[in-house]
Amino acid sequence: MSGPPGDVWRLRRAEVGYPEALLDLGEDAPAALYGRGSADLVGRLTRAETLTIVGSRRPSSYGLEVAEELGHLLGAAGLVIVSGMARGIDAAAHRGALAGGGATVAVLGGGPDVIYPRSERRLYERIVATGVVISEVPSGTRPGPGCFPRRNRIMAALGAMTVVVEAAEPSGSLITAERAYKLGREVGAVPGRVTARVASGTNGLLADGAAVIRDAQDVLDRLVGVGMTAVRRVGPPLEPGLMSVADAVEDGAATTDAVALAAGLGAPDAAVALARLELLGYVRVDAAGRYARTSTRAPEPRREATTLKS
Amino acid sequence: MLATARTFSLLGIEVREVHVEVDVCNGGLPTFSLVGLPDAAVRESRERVRSALEDSGFKFPQHRITANLAPADLRKAGPSFDLAIAAGLLAASGQLPPERLDGLSLAGELALDGSIRPIPGALAMAEAAASRGTRAIAVPTANGPEAALAGGPRVVPLERLQQLRHLGTDAEPPAPPPFELSLNGSVPGEPDLSDLRGQPYLRDALEIAAAGGHSLLIIGPPGAGKSLAARRLPSILPPLGRADAMEVLRVASACGMLKRGTPTVRRPFRAPHHTISTAGLVGGGSPPRAGEVTLAHRGVLFLDELGEFSREALEALRQPLEEGRVAITRARGAVELPCRLMLVAASNPCPCGRGEESGECECQPSSTRRYRAKLSGALADRIDISVAVDRPSAQQMAARAAADSAGVRARVIAARERQERRLGSGCCNADMDLTQLRSAGLTRGARRTLAEGHAQLRLSGRGHDRVVRVSRTIADLAGSDRIETEHVARAISLRRRGGE
Repeated sequence: MSGPPGDVWRLRRAEVGYPEALLDLGEDAPAALYGRGSADLVGRLTRAETLTIVGSRRPSSYGLEVAEELGHLLGAAGLVIVSGMARGIDAAAHRGALAGGGATVAVLGGGPDVIYPRSERRLYERIVATGVVISEVPSGTRPGPGCFPRRNRIMAALGAMTVVVEAAEPSGSLITAERAYKLGREVGAVPGRVTARVASGTNGLLADGAAVIRDAQDVLDRLVGVGMTAVRRVGPPLEPGLMSVADAVEDGAATTDAVALAAGLGAPDAAVALARLELLGYVRVDAAGRYARTSTRAPEPRREATTLKS
Repeated sequence: MLATARTFSLLGIEVREVHVEVDVCNGGLPTFSLVGLPDAAVRESRERVRSALEDSGFKFPQHRITANLAPADLRKAGPSFDLAIAAGLLAASGQLPPERLDGLSLAGELALDGSIRPIPGALAMAEAAASRGTRAIAVPTANGPEAALAGGPRVVPLERLQQLRHLGTDAEPPAPPPFELSLNGSVPGEPDLSDLRGQPYLRDALEIAAAGGHSLLIIGPPGAGKSLAARRLPSILPPLGRADAMEVLRVASACGMLKRGTPTVRRPFRAPHHTISTAGLVGGGSPPRAGEVTLAHRGVLFLDELGEFSREALEALRQPLEEGRVAITRARGAVELPCRLMLVAASNPCPCGRGEESGECECQPSSTRRYRAKLSGALADRIDISVAVDRPSAQQMAARAAADSAGVRARVIAARERQERRLGSGCCNADMDLTQLRSAGLTRGARRTLAEGHAQLRLSGRGHDRVVRVSRTIADLAGSDRIETEHVARAISLRRRGGE
């Protein structure tokens, strides 16, 4: 049944290797799955070790950062990352998983050989090469209206937990979260700024009792139980001056002027410090020239020491 | 009888000499024909000349008149041939001694009442007359001061057609005084950098860009002071030298933009709207006309809302920016226009202006991508410096006025002098070639930082060279012969993002 990765394969509900998690959908479980890439990975999908990450197609840079970090660290920790390959959060989660060497599954709305959105062609090819893309519709089917809401139930069923990174209200990501909840799966959400439209859905989920997801460790604690630790990306040690500039960026200073003001430096010194931090991997710059903190942490355990964990 | 008057035809900002041969012959029906590739405005000259002659006390000959504009294969455009046609006609019909036209060039547009209207390109015409050893050039009074700048032939300012009678006599109007070129820097009423509150980093970026002649991209939301800052750039650039000022004047004269009695020549600042056509931006049309890039020669071209300009227009900018000149090639020959300028562009972070990271952006991701693609697309490899800005806080707005342009300009001039000593007169760091880049004076630490940048930030070859150029300018501003690590680090944070 599992041919070379280039071919589209089919897996019927009654066949061996059909993910058990999908049977929880009852009548609504897909009659067959069509896929490209590793069919073995689909066969190996166990509910306990599968995490679904979904979110907005128009995220903030903060959302992208968090999604990528969760994908990276949790993929590296051995979880299979399921998402929908949509632009934005979905793509970032896949990318993170691939970067962390983890396994990732993309659930598509159209046929498994129909790349949608087209802009994610490269991501699609990387997922097919090391992970798998699946769909309940046969090859060649163009995604139409209604495809994506139906696709969402598959994502919700596959994951032991569904984490929403950023979502406005209403949105497909919230539908996925609701399906996951009704299936008895865990639902988590990443807190966002209360004034940001793109965080209104996720903050709403938190208000309704979803698990608060601040980092990969929060997911592991919920899913695997206390005792498993996520690996952090640790950078080289920072001198105190640079640390305070990194903190200013973390606190939201995105331009050199804002950083200089927050860190109490002159503009040239702030520029030098930011260039250094960028070279060390602590901050990055987007296409509009704005700075953001990466997930790289300083080696001192000072942040960990202050977190409260049961 | 046959008579010849000499004039000039304007092509871009250059002129070609044109001989107007007028033949008035008896017999046949009275006609007036104009040959020699005239365009519509030149052909209409017949009506203006007829009416102006009669209103100036001359007689319009009731004979067969033929006027030929030679060379016949050069397309003639515009109304500046009126005066020469009228003068030739007067000489050919015996109303003006033909020898009065010897060694004389004439250019001017006639009004029906015989008064003479200003024309574009009088400066270039006077210069061309000078190089041909012409004795005198008659121009409209309004164009007198610019024509006198050529310093060649005697300039005869004419107000009315009747004054042709006085040509070559004692009653000839006296030559006007030339334009006074006040080249000592500050221009009264020019916007000053002290208007820019807060934003110390943006100020730094402006100073570095001005000092090294680097092109600059400012990205930020509406209200962040992007265009306010750009408009103040001419005030910190070094003042124009005499030669450069003449180039600016020549362009302004050819484009008819010299206002009567303009007291000072300043570096031009051009800010075309983003709906501008490609021809409007780089020049074109037939006859070829100068575009905004040429109007900005020796000054600043400011493209506000860079992402809104058409892709073709931006694409067309590349080569002119690279070469400092525009070549407009037409079937009947090519015209070359100068465009050595400093490019400043500004852009919102996304089409709605709020920016993706705000979480309140309502742009479609695809439209944001297209918008960004323009920033990193066509012009990307012409942008040396990019800087992200935010709206200044209320606190910064209330702060006391920051330093004014004069102090910044002094530092810019000092830095330019260092560059000229190293690279040669008129050169700045933005023009450094590969050999000069190799001997830019990087310290070992600076080299190491650059290498890290190469590895960590995936700097391309071009990106690497740009960082060296900009760090060289930062070192020049600091008065340092060596490029230190700190200078490279600052240049790295000023580098253009994306699309490397």
